Amino acid sequence: MDKEQVTLTIDGKTVTVPKGMVAVDAAKTVDIDIPVFCYHEKLGPFGCCRMCLVEVEKMPKLATACTLNVSQDMVIKTDTPKVKKGRNGVLEFTLLNHPLDCPVCDKGGECPLQDNTFEHGPDLTRMEYNRAHHDKATPLSPVITIDRERCIACQRCTRYSDIIEKDTALVMLNRGFHNEVGTFNNEPYDTRFSGNVVDICPVGALTNTQYRFKSRNWDLKNAESLCAHCACNCNIVIGTRQNRFMRVQAKSSENSVSNDFVDDGWICDKGRFGYQFLESKNRILDPRENGIGDSRAGVIETAKKVAASFKKIAEEHGPDSVGFLGSPFGTNEELYLYQKLFRLGLGTNNIDHKLYADSPGLPVDHYDMEDVESADLVLTIASDPTEELPILDLRLKKAVSSLGTKLAVLSDQQTLMDCFACHSLRYNVGSDGTVLQSLTDGLGKKGFKKNKGFETETGIESDAFKELIASLKKSTKVCVIYNPEKLTGDSVHILKSFLTALDKNSEGTCGAIPAAPATNALGAMDMGVLPDYYPGGIPVSNAAKIRELWGDSAPVTEGASASELIQKAESGELKALWIYRCNPLVDFPGGAKLEQALKKLDLLVVHDMLETETTRIAKVVLPSNGPGYDEGTTTNIGGRVQFRKRGIVTQNPADWKILGAMLKELDIESDYRDSFEVTSEIASTVPGYSEVNRKNLRKFGHQREKVSNPKVPESKGSSEKAPDKNALRLRVSNYLFAHDKILDASSSLAHHFQTSSIYIHEDDAKSLGLSSGAEVTIKSDWGEIKAEVQVNNRCNPGGALVPYISDEQGVASLLNPDGGPTWVTFKN
Amino acid sequence: MKLFLTHNIDTKDLHSIKVYKKQGGYGSLEKAFAKKPDEIVQMVKDSGLRGRGGAGFPTGLKWSFLAKDVFPRYLACNADESEPGTCKDRVLLQKNPHLLIEGMILCAYACQIETAYIYLRGEFYDLAEIMDKALEEAYEAGYLGANILGSGMNLEMYTHLGAGAYICGEESALLNSLEGMRGEPRLKPPFPAVEGLYGKPTVVNNVETLCAVVPIMNEGPEAYAAVGTEKSKGTKLVSVSGHVKKPGNYEIPMGLPTRDLIYDLAGGIRDDNELKAWIPGGSSVPMLPASLVDTPYDYEAIAAAGSMLGSGALIVMDHTTNVVEEALRLAGFYMHESCGKCTPCREGTRWLHQILSDIHLKKGKESNIALLEDICDNMSFKCFCPLGDAAVAPVISSIQNFREDYEELLNLAKAGTAS
Amino acid sequence: MFTFSESSEKQIEKIMKKYPVKRSAILPLLALAQRQDGYITPEAMVEIGKRIDCSPAYVQSVCSFYTMFYTKPVGKYVIQFCINISCHLLGCDDLLEYTANKLNIKVGETTADNKITLLKEECLAECSAAPVMRLNDTYHTNLTREKIDQILDSLD
Ligand SMILES: Cc1cc2nc3c(=O)[nH]c(=O)nc-3n(C[C@H](O)[C@H](O)[C@H](O)COP(=O)(O)O)c2cc1C
Ligand code: SF4
Ligand code: FES
Repeated sequence: MDKEQVTLTIDGKTVTVPKGMVAVDAAKTVDIDIPVFCYHEKLGPFGCCRMCLVEVEKMPKLATACTLNVSQDMVIKTDTPKVKKGRNGVLEFTLLNHPLDCPVCDKGGECPLQDNTFEHGPDLTRMEYNRAHHDKATPLSPVITIDRERCIACQRCTRYSDIIEKDTALVMLNRGFHNEVGTFNNEPYDTRFSGNVVDICPVGALTNTQYRFKSRNWDLKNAESLCAHCACNCNIVIGTRQNRFMRVQAKSSENSVSNDFVDDGWICDKGRFGYQFLESKNRILDPRENGIGDSRAGVIETAKKVAASFKKIAEEHGPDSVGFLGSPFGTNEELYLYQKLFRLGLGTNNIDHKLYADSPGLPVDHYDMEDVESADLVLTIASDPTEELPILDLRLKKAVSSLGTKLAVLSDQQTLMDCFACHSLRYNVGSDGTVLQSLTDGLGKKGFKKNKGFETETGIESDAFKELIASLKKSTKVCVIYNPEKLTGDSVHILKSFLTALDKNSEGTCGAIPAAPATNALGAMDMGVLPDYYPGGIPVSNAAKIRELWGDSAPVTEGASASELIQKAESGELKALWIYRCNPLVDFPGGAKLEQALKKLDLLVVHDMLETETTRIAKVVLPSNGPGYDEGTTTNIGGRVQFRKRGIVTQNPADWKILGAMLKELDIESDYRDSFEVTSEIASTVPGYSEVNRKNLRKFGHQREKVSNPKVPESKGSSEKAPDKNALRLRVSNYLFAHDKILDASSSLAHHFQTSSIYIHEDDAKSLGLSSGAEVTIKSDWGEIKAEVQVNNRCNPGGALVPYISDEQGVASLLNPDGGPTWVTFKN
Repeated sequence: MKLFLTHNIDTKDLHSIKVYKKQGGYGSLEKAFAKKPDEIVQMVKDSGLRGRGGAGFPTGLKWSFLAKDVFPRYLACNADESEPGTCKDRVLLQKNPHLLIEGMILCAYACQIETAYIYLRGEFYDLAEIMDKALEEAYEAGYLGANILGSGMNLEMYTHLGAGAYICGEESALLNSLEGMRGEPRLKPPFPAVEGLYGKPTVVNNVETLCAVVPIMNEGPEAYAAVGTEKSKGTKLVSVSGHVKKPGNYEIPMGLPTRDLIYDLAGGIRDDNELKAWIPGGSSVPMLPASLVDTPYDYEAIAAAGSMLGSGALIVMDHTTNVVEEALRLAGFYMHESCGKCTPCREGTRWLHQILSDIHLKKGKESNIALLEDICDNMSFKCFCPLGDAAVAPVISSIQNFREDYEELLNLAKAGTAS
Repeated sequence: MFTFSESSEKQIEKIMKKYPVKRSAILPLLALAQRQDGYITPEAMVEIGKRIDCSPAYVQSVCSFYTMFYTKPVGKYVIQFCINISCHLLGCDDLLEYTANKLNIKVGETTADNKITLLKEECLAECSAAPVMRLNDTYHTNLTREKIDQILDSLD
């Protein structure tokens, strides 16, 4: 990268900036504001609106500062009479056919057109003709309203669609004065990231339908917070009015400074339009005992009482008669305190938060999301960024199309990233263990040899596989992105050996991003909500270290995992289970049997935000406020810890407060006055988090250090045969807009909801006599669901892909409860 | 008069390679291949040839600006000919297609280019067919394709048709259009010579410019430079249209008095009317009054007279013309052809048209003239590309030189309201 | 559904070879589709998008920029009548009106029998033979009323 600096003068001020920077940005560094419309730093120079005219010494014409690359000794003036006249003229043209309906425009108060006119524009109009007319406010999509009269044709939105989202779904139609923003054949502009155009439109042409006419912008209170929908943890601004939710915007250069470590100033539509749950009628507001809600019973009092009951059960039946099922959706503080409560307060390691195999830490560097841009090869494994971690999808597209990064996709299903990849390898569902082992071996001395057995088992051609290995070896910076949740059995352990091998055998550097999609999946691991690891990746076997950090009473035997907890409930060994922000009745395998098991418990407590199937059978239900209301930190896939601010104030106590009270109840010192005090405690006890403090969290968050990296467990390996020649191996995939408790029927995103489908390969379709559109019942040993067949080769023959599209679909009921493979057959 | 481009243009079947070769066609190639590419560039520089597409930029100099050592490079021949009044390139395309091919081969050789496109405006479908036929013949004869005449030079040449957009004559819009995009102009810099077609160094030259390279090669730069004036060398093909007795395309030595062009070559004004106004170089340049008709027809003299030689399209108006009406016509043209990318051009062209329409319909006001002038000032040099400047030229020049025509209409408007 | 005819397919093969980047073929492909169907349907845009790896919206965006592409049906014959300066100086307005009256339509319309569409056009680059019109692919120059009569009467 060219880092050469140049020195120039802008309005008499001396400025030193990197050569080639555009004058608008250079001026910004010395607080000189050059007005713009079409320029947006993430979209690059375009120069169409002509708002940014400036005078440059030795140039006869005025220049557009947004396209002007500064050079040594340049002299720029932004407030000469010539510039003023130029700007005034441009604004007159811009306003010529603008409807001037500011009083009823949603952009009012935060409108660059208003602001620029106020400062630089004409005070009178010389326009004596009827202004051009268009249909007012028509839907561009179910969530975006377009008012074409207001459009100033800056092309920000269409360039966004082209340059950032890369699908040219929103385009400029027609020519000249008849230019208009539109879609193909007037179809809705309905993409995963469409809402960003609302933020960047410099006028009120593109507005958020949800927010229309709900508030004037100056009446809003804006909180810089984090999105809680996935593990990217994008920076958002929550706008509220009189403590009521109004809208979500990306935190971008338009309203603040974007966090380029995380989201580059963009958010996905789920993050923008998927926040109606904050005011869902299913929110749990009062504690409830034996099905009876009581608004007078204090949350804290109830919680203390239940904590005491747990203590009593633990004393009576032994500490391992109680257990905790946490969730990757809690904040670090909440999860940290819960594990502390169970470990120190109740003496058990019976705590877990997930169903897939994984262990904390990486044998290589933990890359931040930004590293994707400097990597020359990104390898995604079993990851589907578009559906799971949407902002990562944008980041990958940016890296591949403008920064020279190469992408390799290794997956058992087709993804939307494939068309950006130079290696796109699809393995048979369930064969990831073999694939990863061969990759590991291939990097080592043994190398990889063309191999029929490998090809039949994995469905990958040897030559293509070889090429991938060659690319991995010769790249100077490899970033591996994997979704542990979608690896089968314990092949995540093989993946970690692969990382070690990569580190050793590739010519450059490498690192990885564990990309489990849940909001704080990484934080939950780091905080030790695991039966076998303490916070910071300290294994329970390391008794000495644990005693040192946690005291002598800390339990050092391995606890029960999530699935074991369910088994123990079934067998009666487990008497009391505490479930935090998790809905096993829908999300865990087991179906009706699972419900029976939970009903056997003496005490089932659910602490959650929204009513779920599980809260319905709980003995005690406690309200958790959740994102938007409660504050705390979360750790994103890049290991970046950020502070999630509240947008709405509630009377109900925050979870950390409830937990503090419960800890006290169990005689553990706890005097937290705010969530930051918990954060400080985390900094002092959790390896990797020592630098996480208030100061470091400001602005862009802080990438935590590596957590301990214990020895990677050996993979037990797995190879199974289909029980039935007609059986296909099930793979559940993710869908961004799944219809669940968060995106409920009243959601603005309901138009994205899909019907239950199963994707199979045409070979299998032929042998099974199925064709697209057929309604079938899918059966496994554990359950059955209905779905429509789609023959489209999204996975290899032998596999069956079912996207998780709703809670109601019940796909988890099909799954093998012990984590082994699931085979499905069909019934018409 | 020495003619370089059209001396044999009326030869029967000149468009066929057989006849063309009989006339000495493709003879320049052997000569060129005996020289180094840089020598050819130097010859073109020495000839003083300037671009005939409108801007008059020295051709040899343009070729020497190509980014060093970056390949592949492209050649795009600008056959978009859309400037109102201009119809000179079509004569060459139609009657002497091989001359253009030969010129393009020379340019490609000089600039080490292996792929060339001829961008024709969409309406020139018939000319594209002629060109395609000629290209086929040239391939067959070994003037195109691999290892041309054993020189080791390779060149592929194709036609590409536009689809109705004046702006695609602007070189960067042309490149966008050729790349399959909307014909909106690109930011400059980078100039096409550095980052042009598909991001690679590209020469964009007008049909006439490229044709002129052949006589320069054949007869030597000195012979070419011997014709014309000090700074405007060679001959110019001029399209004469409007109120003349013999409209047509005339090749003239640069510097010929415009009077001779109008009164001798074009036969004088129709019905022996009086000359009122003339536009020297296509709709985009200021119009001039009859009093300046002795101006020599060359770049410098016309510039000194307050206009530009432009594409070499002389539009003649006699005393029956109300210039406002023609300015309105051209305003309509620019409104229709503005690509809409930049604000002043998109909005300004329409506004100018609205006001001129009013004046023309005798609904104008005194203050309209000052308003027109101010709008023109706000557009001038503030648009994304020169189309915006072009759009103001007829308006401003008609106000400057023919104010009485405006006043006449404004007076009628006043009288109308009074009665 | 839109499909390119066999002869179009042959041309497409040639067209695709001209350019190092598929997208460059967009104008030729649109023109082909129009030659085939008389105008360009949304289905044709989808098909063209597939050929050049572009979204249908992109194809529409490009298509709508250029005035020679029609997205609604036009007559068997399309007259593009130049109304720019050189033609105007020689009376094109009168001739255009004459033509419209003769066809009994307004400028921009198509005759009831779907035979002839009459369009106003900007400069067609045959200015020294003004007035000029283009009828399908053929230029007609030095127009007079008589000439227009002849031309129109000769159309089948
Ligand atoms: C609006 C606009 C329209 C133009 N139209 C044409 C055209 O139709 N034909 C042409 O040769 N040049 C046209 N030009 C000039 C080209 O941009 C470019 O300067 C020319 O093709 C260069 O070739 P030359 O150096 O041989 O003249 C146009 C320029 C502008 C700004
Ligand atoms: S809709 Fe908004 S962002 Fe898009 S071009 Fe118009 S003004 Fe610009
Ligand atoms: S901001 Fe510079 S031209 Fe639009």
